[in-house]
Amino acid sequence: MSAIGIAVAVETRKAVASRVVPWTTGILAGGLAALTSGLLAAASAGDERVLARLGPLAEADGWALLVGTAAQILAAGGFGACGILIAWLYGREFADGTVAALFALPVRRSSIALGKLVVYLAWAAIMAIALTLMLALLGLAAGLPATDPDGAVQLLRIPLLTMLTALLAVPAGWIASLARSLLAGIAATIVLLVVAQVSAVLGVGSWVPLVAPALWAIDPESVPWPALVGVLIVPVVFGGATAITWARMQLDR
Amino acid sequence: MPESRVELHGVRREFRGGAGVHGVDLAIAPGEIHALVGLNGAGKTTLMRLMLGMLRPDAGEVRIDGVRIDDLAPAAWAKVGQLVESALAYGELDVRDNLRLAARLHGVARAEASAMADASIEELDLVRYARVRARRLSLGNRQRVGLAAGLQHDPTLIVLDEPTNALDPAGVIVLREAVVRRARAGAGVLVSSHHLDEVARVADRISVMNDGRLIGTLDPGTIDLERAFFSLVRTDDEARNAA
Repeated sequence: MSAIGIAVAVETRKAVASRVVPWTTGILAGGLAALTSGLLAAASAGDERVLARLGPLAEADGWALLVGTAAQILAAGGFGACGILIAWLYGREFADGTVAALFALPVRRSSIALGKLVVYLAWAAIMAIALTLMLALLGLAAGLPATDPDGAVQLLRIPLLTMLTALLAVPAGWIASLARSLLAGIAATIVLLVVAQVSAVLGVGSWVPLVAPALWAIDPESVPWPALVGVLIVPVVFGGATAITWARMQLDR
Repeated sequence: MPESRVELHGVRREFRGGAGVHGVDLAIAPGEIHALVGLNGAGKTTLMRLMLGMLRPDAGEVRIDGVRIDDLAPAAWAKVGQLVESALAYGELDVRDNLRLAARLHGVARAEASAMADASIEELDLVRYARVRARRLSLGNRQRVGLAAGLQHDPTLIVLDEPTNALDPAGVIVLREAVVRRARAGAGVLVSSHHLDEVARVADRISVMNDGRLIGTLDPGTIDLERAFFSLVRTDDEARNAA
């Protein structure tokens, strides 16, 4: 097996056995289901404050309302969960003191760093499918039509948004590696989240990778598809930077 | 077989404030157990980090089996085993899984990793803890897991920083036997200690480190090793203070 294959296998075993991964997954899925259901129930009851918060979405109904509401929550909450998870994947080696054991191995540290990234993206892909299924069940339970083609199209926004959100959180892993601190990665997540959300609310920067998915979550028509593709720059640049940081690392602090 | 498992030539790495390693030459032959003894802060850990690529030297070079470590192929690191600082033991994994992952990271095939972990569990006397998560282990048993992770793949160069830390007397004997066994099979072994413990006493050579330099050697057969050690350190301190 190649070095990267070994790294992926090792990181997968660690992630599966950890408490952080199931807790993050559960909180994200449970929180999304609870908040989406609560907001929709409040909107259908005519709660003025909730309707005002939903903005243009308040005019929508059916699957569009369900997915639009969930997407807004996912763009913010999902980013937080993704950032915390990737910061932990890298930062734990410093917090647990296991980083020294990752030196002097035939598996390069850059391979280990990329192995962590692969595991993170695999988790995001599983989350993308799971959250879509969960929202489909939520919609069906709420009596939305099962044969509505528009509903299926709307639902397909969820896996795309989940993956885009996960890709945007990759810099948190780099910061955790660079600062050798789990908390620094979480702090970076919070800062990036605030910048993305404020920019989205202000409606600026649909071509800025950090902002495009959040804007797209609010109003899909406002973001051209090449802008969403541009999000791929973030994991490529910061995933590469993370691998280089691990390759060049010295235990000098 | 190479002349030396590891060689250091004029290795220097200095930190702000003057601490570090100030020009060290050292070679460890196949089959040799070499103890590195020095007080806390003498530079033992820094020297070991330099040997293992955890730090890059400001000057000088490190060679493993005759090859500069910058030029060492990744596969060559499979022949190195180390425990410097914390053990490779993830709290959420049990002892057996931790050792299986350590074996995989040392290039051992998946099919062989389990048998290797089991043999290592037996050797380090961890059988009753094999299915216990590392976070529930005592400090001493965690240290045994780290030692098992560094030794199980039968490396030809072994670097252990204060390996008897937290070990009970039975653990020290288990470690000593594991180290001697591998040295007899041709491994070069470097063990550090801040005191002349059981492992240092089975060494073929004992080097004394003080203030980032190797200041002399001790004959392992000396009856009062402690007295000889402190005498060397005191003489060196006085010479530096006088300079």
